[in-house]
Amino acid sequence: MTASQQDTGGDAGTAGGTSAGTPTETAAGQPTETATGAARQASKDTRNTGPGRLLIAVYAVFALSATARAGYQIVTKFSEAPLAYLLSAFAAVVYIVATVSLAKAGRTWFKVSVTAVLVELIGVLVVGALSLFDAVNFPHETVWSLFGRGYGFIPLLLPILGLIWLYRRRPAPKRA
Amino acid sequence: MDAYFYIILVVGLLSTLLCVGAGILKKAPNDATILSVAAVELSLLVYLVGSIVRVASGERIAGEPWEFWGYLVTALMLPVGAVYWAILERTRWSNFVLAAVGVTALVMAARMNQIWY
Repeated sequence: MTASQQDTGGDAGTAGGTSAGTPTETAAGQPTETATGAARQASKDTRNTGPGRLLIAVYAVFALSATARAGYQIVTKFSEAPLAYLLSAFAAVVYIVATVSLAKAGRTWFKVSVTAVLVELIGVLVVGALSLFDAVNFPHETVWSLFGRGYGFIPLLLPILGLIWLYRRRPAPKRA
Repeated sequence: MDAYFYIILVVGLLSTLLCVGAGILKKAPNDATILSVAAVELSLLVYLVGSIVRVASGERIAGEPWEFWGYLVTALMLPVGAVYWAILERTRWSNFVLAAVGVTALVMAARMNQIWY
């Protein structure tokens, strides 16, 4: 991604809204529109096309499963391990915020995404380490326990990929 | 693990492999990848109908019934959502989104089996 991106600020573009029929730079082998069409797409401050769509999809699955799991834990057995289940709920909120913000266009949503993904990275590292070194006292019942081993370590991989993607699609600096 | 799980295991894995392959080959979602995800949906529907029949004929779910049905209904929505998204943006990346459906469905089917027995 070059620095030639223009800042189009709060350009409307919810998930899918901008993408019907418009090519991205990754649409190899696809019939593409004119070069100006491609340039217009590149100038938009969005993160919901190309690889971003896969990222959002995986985040959405995690948001869904973490919410369902945390809700289930809190409703049925909250008193057993309040801290772990509150952590579950917190993780669920982080995943929801990340999913929504990645799907939205514009500078503000970019900042929200970065914050959510960073919180997620810190969360999985801290909770992962705690559950590893204090295995007796720390219940193994959150998405982030043991660095997300119960979920194929995807919770550990996801924020790293998220940060790479956000960096590649960062908004251009504001022009004076 | 019952036959329903193994059906979804096979169909889900095949669908995922096909969609990942198509994505690596830089193809946009096509009939083959979308139909493979439709096959996942179909096998989930078979699971749904089979489960309704089993409950109606007096079999009992060992775990929480609403948890089981929650998983099943959620799993049924995934292929629909992924295909909808794949149609909105026809790039190779949508094939990876479609690929995620198969593995997710088989993980959820494994969990549903655990709840049932």
